Amino acid sequence: MNGVKNSVAGSLESSDVLVTVGPAEGAENTLDVESIVFKQFGARIRSVAEEVMAASGVRGADVRIQDRGALECTLRARLETALERALKA
Amino acid sequence: MTSPLDARETRWRKRIDLASALPPGCSLLSFTLRMPAPLRLGGEYDRTAGEWFDELRQFLAKEGMSAPSYDFYVSADGPEGFCTIRGVGKDVKRRAVAFEETHPCGELVDVDVTCPDGSVPGRRELGLPPRRCVVCGGEAVPCVRGRAHTAEELRSAVERIAEGWRACRRERRSGLNAPASDERSARGVGEGRTFGACNDVKPPDHMELYCALIGRCAGTAVLFEAAAAPKPGLVTPFSNGAHTDMDYFSFLASAAALASFWERFARLGATFTAGAYMEEGSSGSPSPECTALLPLLREEGVRAEQTMFAATGGVNTHKGLIFSLGVLCAACGMLVSEGKHTSPEACAGRGAEIVRGIVERDFADAGKKKPSERTAGERLYLAEGVTGIRGEAERGFPAVIEVALPCLRKLLSDGAALNDALAETLLLLMTATEDTNILARGGREGERNVREAARNALDLGGMRTEEGVRAVREMEVLFTSSRLSPGGAADLLAVTVFLHLMETSGATEAIRRARRP
Repeated sequence: MNGVKNSVAGSLESSDVLVTVGPAEGAENTLDVESIVFKQFGARIRSVAEEVMAASGVRGADVRIQDRGALECTLRARLETALERALKA
Repeated sequence: MTSPLDARETRWRKRIDLASALPPGCSLLSFTLRMPAPLRLGGEYDRTAGEWFDELRQFLAKEGMSAPSYDFYVSADGPEGFCTIRGVGKDVKRRAVAFEETHPCGELVDVDVTCPDGSVPGRRELGLPPRRCVVCGGEAVPCVRGRAHTAEELRSAVERIAEGWRACRRERRSGLNAPASDERSARGVGEGRTFGACNDVKPPDHMELYCALIGRCAGTAVLFEAAAAPKPGLVTPFSNGAHTDMDYFSFLASAAALASFWERFARLGATFTAGAYMEEGSSGSPSPECTALLPLLREEGVRAEQTMFAATGGVNTHKGLIFSLGVLCAACGMLVSEGKHTSPEACAGRGAEIVRGIVERDFADAGKKKPSERTAGERLYLAEGVTGIRGEAERGFPAVIEVALPCLRKLLSDGAALNDALAETLLLLMTATEDTNILARGGREGERNVREAARNALDLGGMRTEEGVRAVREMEVLFTSSRLSPGGAADLLAVTVFLHLMETSGATEAIRRARRP
């Protein structure tokens, strides 16, 4: 057990994002990004997610992002909430 | 304090919970405002949102999608509404998209549909165009995500649309807009916009011009057809033909009432393609799902019919033409937005793609209707397999492309007067089409009489010889006395004129030049 529980935050409504977190297979974090604006913003979403994950100190988390065109501030907030819930004792 | 983000998460869970408890054959509809948070949360739209939600439910109920119960309140994310709708998810979503695209407030609302299995049918999977940005008319999501527009631009766009809705409501309440419709009125509202604040889908600027041009060609074609004489059995400036309930002025009133609609059909076509264009991996080829445009055209067509009936005091002057010319205006709009040539053949061909399958679909439903509710065309199809204007459109208007248009071109290039060329082309169309107007009133015998009389007049030289003109005069007497009115041929004459005008008015060339890099 690496202490990561299953959690979700956000929604699949337009201009929002659904972040799903669960334990990864190994000790490393894994990240999967799906977005309706992947072409324009896929790389940016990925780097924001990596940054938030690093800041949270999480290890061994599998993070899945289903983006419906969320603003960057929304994306950050959803990621933080999802990770917080996944790590809550 | 709940934050907007929390409220949205709560709403999402509520959607899933409510959807999982839906009765069979129902889907869950959720309604939110589509505007930036400061506007959505400011309270100024709370009451209006409630009215919009009411209008949305009325709009759905007209299609038999009733909402037995609903819930509307203001959360920390702004006004939101929920209701259970009788209807399959995808059908309800289609209808909801029609509301978003055509209702005066449609641009400012988000209508989401959740199926009992939790799936959320989207515009893309239904082959419908993506949502447009309220400011620039481009695809909305990248604009929102990338904060492409300033708060001020967004605020003024939202206020403009809301004002358009208020103006439509004022007209509706003042009773000027006769049919009791809660939908967009035909009249333009607001400064400097042709049909103004009520029309939400906004193609790029040059497209506006071309759609206006398409609309003008169509409007002109309707007038030219009405003014041409002699037209045996039909209304002209000099005769009411076989009709007792309408005259030339009915046609002028109808033409004026419909004038703004043709451009709207063109815009529906143009914006539809623009949407399909932005799909990932698009190679610039037309959307394979042209048929997905037809429901939108039908929505507009119903409004056009209501406006026509209001203008003529309930007389059907142009119902058939609204269909065929509406489809062709949309076809032209699509071609233009793809940078393609709007030749008569291309327009008719694209029109056929838009209506593909319509004969089978429409008449399948006709069999289920009560006999008294069937249209003349439906009765004839069920009795004799006559496919009428639907069949003509689905085959790419062969009577127009192969018969009438070459005739009109030849007569005009030979120096015939426009009126005479139109009258003679009409004769030829009478010989070349199965006119459901004639079949409905005169049966097979009437139809044969019309064909033979027209053939005879043409053989005698048509409008170019005294004998021919005399034969046409005799047709007038015969058709009037036996109440035969070749309205189907007349509609195809207007279609012929439209395609001819599109080809010769410089429209096609202007479009081609503009698209050249």
